[in-house]
Amino acid sequence: MKKLLHVCAAGAVFLASLVTASAADAKLVVAMLPKSKGNAYFISCKAGADKAAKELGVQLLFDGPTDSNAAKQNEIVENWITLGVDVIAVAAENKEGISTALRKAQKQGIKVLTYDADAMTDARSFFVNQATPEGIGQGLMDEAARLTGGEGEFAMIVASLTAANQREWQKHVEARLKEKYPKMKLVAVRPCDDLKDKAQSEATAMLSANPKLKLIMAICSPGVPGAAEAVKQAGQTGKVKVMGLGLPNENRRYVKEGVTDSIILWNTGDLGYLTIYAGVALAKDELKQGAKTLKAGSLGTFSIVGDNILLGKPFIFNKANIDQFDF
Amino acid sequence: MKTYFRELSVAAALVVVLLALAVFAPAFYQPQPLLSLLTREAPTLVVACGMALVIISRQIDISVGAQFSVCSVCAGLLAARGWPIYLVLPASAACGAFLGALNGALVAGLRLPSIVVTLATMVTLRQGLNLVRQGEFVNLPDGVQWLGLGQTAGQWLIVLTALGFLVAFGLGLRHLAAGRFVYAVGSDAEAARLAGLRPQLATFLVFVLLGALTGLAAMMNVAQSPQVQPLSGSGLELKVIAAVVVGGVAISGGRGNLWGAFAGLLLLACVAPALTHLHVEAYWEKAIQGAIILLAVVADGLRSRKGGHR
Amino acid sequence: MNTAKRDWKALLTRHEMLLLYVLIAEWLFFYFAGTTTNRRGVVVGFGTMDRQFDILRHSCEIGLLALALTPVIITAGIDLSVGSLLGLCAILFGQLWHDGGLPIPVAAGLTLALGALAGGLNATLITALRLPPLIVTLGTYSLFRGLAEAITRGSITYTGFPETFLFVGQERWLGLPTQAWIFFVVALAVWLLVHRTTFGRTFRTIGLAPEGARYAGLPVERRLALVYVLAGLIAAIAAIIYTARLGQAKADAGTGYELFAITAVVLGGTSIFGGTGSVHGTLLGVAAIAVLKNGLACLPVVMGMNAAEEMSGLLTGALLLLALTASVLPKILANFRSRPHAPAP
Repeated sequence: MKKLLHVCAAGAVFLASLVTASAADAKLVVAMLPKSKGNAYFISCKAGADKAAKELGVQLLFDGPTDSNAAKQNEIVENWITLGVDVIAVAAENKEGISTALRKAQKQGIKVLTYDADAMTDARSFFVNQATPEGIGQGLMDEAARLTGGEGEFAMIVASLTAANQREWQKHVEARLKEKYPKMKLVAVRPCDDLKDKAQSEATAMLSANPKLKLIMAICSPGVPGAAEAVKQAGQTGKVKVMGLGLPNENRRYVKEGVTDSIILWNTGDLGYLTIYAGVALAKDELKQGAKTLKAGSLGTFSIVGDNILLGKPFIFNKANIDQFDF
Repeated sequence: MKTYFRELSVAAALVVVLLALAVFAPAFYQPQPLLSLLTREAPTLVVACGMALVIISRQIDISVGAQFSVCSVCAGLLAARGWPIYLVLPASAACGAFLGALNGALVAGLRLPSIVVTLATMVTLRQGLNLVRQGEFVNLPDGVQWLGLGQTAGQWLIVLTALGFLVAFGLGLRHLAAGRFVYAVGSDAEAARLAGLRPQLATFLVFVLLGALTGLAAMMNVAQSPQVQPLSGSGLELKVIAAVVVGGVAISGGRGNLWGAFAGLLLLACVAPALTHLHVEAYWEKAIQGAIILLAVVADGLRSRKGGHR
Repeated sequence: MNTAKRDWKALLTRHEMLLLYVLIAEWLFFYFAGTTTNRRGVVVGFGTMDRQFDILRHSCEIGLLALALTPVIITAGIDLSVGSLLGLCAILFGQLWHDGGLPIPVAAGLTLALGALAGGLNATLITALRLPPLIVTLGTYSLFRGLAEAITRGSITYTGFPETFLFVGQERWLGLPTQAWIFFVVALAVWLLVHRTTFGRTFRTIGLAPEGARYAGLPVERRLALVYVLAGLIAAIAAIIYTARLGQAKADAGTGYELFAITAVVLGGTSIFGGTGSVHGTLLGVAAIAVLKNGLACLPVVMGMNAAEEMSGLLTGALLLLALTASVLPKILANFRSRPHAPAP
């Protein structure tokens, strides 16, 4: 039986020697953590990040949970720490939770920045800010008010009842509603578990439960096409407006058919691209606290306010402009 | 009447919920939204037919959700490649049947416990799909949605097909020799074997059947929208098993029927829309569904206890 | 043939030993393939002590749930609700401390009691009403998670725990991650219970033949109830460790953990039909999965594909299927040899 053990060991070592051969290049390693890997939003982020990594000649690691899972995010970051990567860029699922791991990374001399969703400010150097939750909430609510003429009932579809960023956005939507649009009323908030099919079922129920409904706002990317399909099937196209946060490619069909009126989003590819440029500049000590601008390849120069690198304003995609975008 | 007490009590609960909706939220009964809701539940019903057979034969399959996703994506990719719908449909069913056969071979051939086998295939399929597709949506060409029939016709076709399966399997299970065979295997496989039947074959076949039905259901779901999300079908296994069990199919095999499973499915499917219609906040949904399942099994337990003491 | 030799051989080819070989081979493979020197000349990857400690830290919660499930599965039961219960207990703990204003030890103690109580709900339904555990715990799986969501309305996250508490989940004590000590104590306790007490040995009897055990005068219901209460208690311990590791308590804690835990138990050689199984097997199962998952993430090839998570899931599933097949293969071969012309069953 000892023999068996030896054979196992020898086999393992042999296999190992085969795999390691390719590991010895000395590129800068940037590790990028999305909230959830399967989400189209982050897939398009990755496309931009890949492009930047190629231009800069760095190795990009892109890994994350397959579902939004705070515990897994921590495990992945801790893994990267022991892998000794040079830069870690994180879209935080949970502020406090991830920050303990990020502080550990900083202690080991790894440069840390956040994108999409920030961690605690002491746990990272910079935040690549696509838009503040406040800005997103206000943008969504203002657009909803514009579409409905500032009065009537509307409903929301969210990813899950526990996702931190969703709660944050919902909070700001509600705050804006209270402050500026007294004639509008939020009649239902339903979760869709990031499933388009479930969003469709929920929207169908919303439509029949609230005959005076004028608009459905979906704030997770699978929710918008799901709600649009429900409205279309209910024959309420035009009568009930659909809008929300989503990607042009997933919504193109509905926008063109006039089911979905507008979707709001920043250019996610640019977000990934800018994050990688910021990370590499940070690692090469070209980006320091107090800097006012950052130059990012073909996208030009971005301004920095405090420790926030600003991507710019979110776009509103509609029938007129959606064909100019492919992500 | 007594033999169907369990099914009737679920049906009664369903009627109560429906009556409550009729009183407090009559809007629930508008024809078009109702048809849409039924269409949304139709694929689940088809899977539930297969699942009921598997559970009656004393097995379980928790990989149906993953199978559903794999079949959906396969069907979507084939359709996107320009395959005509009359080829995509059997291809999807065949894909499901193959995955079901895999489970069936491991369970019946190697006599492995079905819960663990299907746990393993669930993880393998789900992660494999993630690895290959990375969550990307599949965009379908025009003409796949509603199988090219237009919405109303398509919705009726899907709902009626699902009901057709329900009736066919419901009657077949009771009146065909093959149906009674399933009960025999589920209540006592050894006795069935001694009676000259081949329980392992039956087990294998119910898994294949469940797989094929899952493939069909996936197609019925794909046909409802112009895009396929690879995540579709996650959580389906628990939804279907819960529906079947609430409907009175005994997890220990050999007891229950499809009519009960149908009532159970409708009851659980009503929870979410009922909450929306009654303007209850969504936070309670999962807790309510859990409570319904527990109530159903507690009712089972109390009844069988009474029976035992007599 | 002399008996001593045969025993020795039987021991070495036992499931647990085979799993140990796999674990060693796995570890060596990753040690050589997953360790490199980075740009700054520092040794990084799987071979570092930090990484080994991380593996230990990351496995504690799932390991605890697997420990909780081992006696359950030995008695031919199952508990699908442990992951949801972890979430519910994390929330209750956060609430007791934050809203209730209780000191951490008191809140932790109450949480353990509540965990045991929730386990008691499973136990009551399963033993008093003789309901199938699969379905009862499927119901409580929804119920516990649903309650956690309802209590927090999804949105409340408890954070800001004191440093002394976070020490449990994030720092080292006596050279090992603090929570590892808790894990080892629980593991030892469960091992002693299952393998070294007459009490625990009855679990196997119950798993093999519950009716027989009843006729033999064993208090089957009471023993079964204890097993589920214990599972609830251990899930609560896992909840507290989870909270300390992440520094937050939220309703989605532990989602999907039950599947990993069941996988580890079955991989460890415990029969899902009950009657056989061991705690050390479970520990090996947990380790095999944890090393695979962490090791893959250190392989340059897998890193290039950006797919460590999926690969480890895929391989865990495959490993489980392999282990299952291997466990029945000898029996099938023996059948085949003894009845070469027997008709197909």
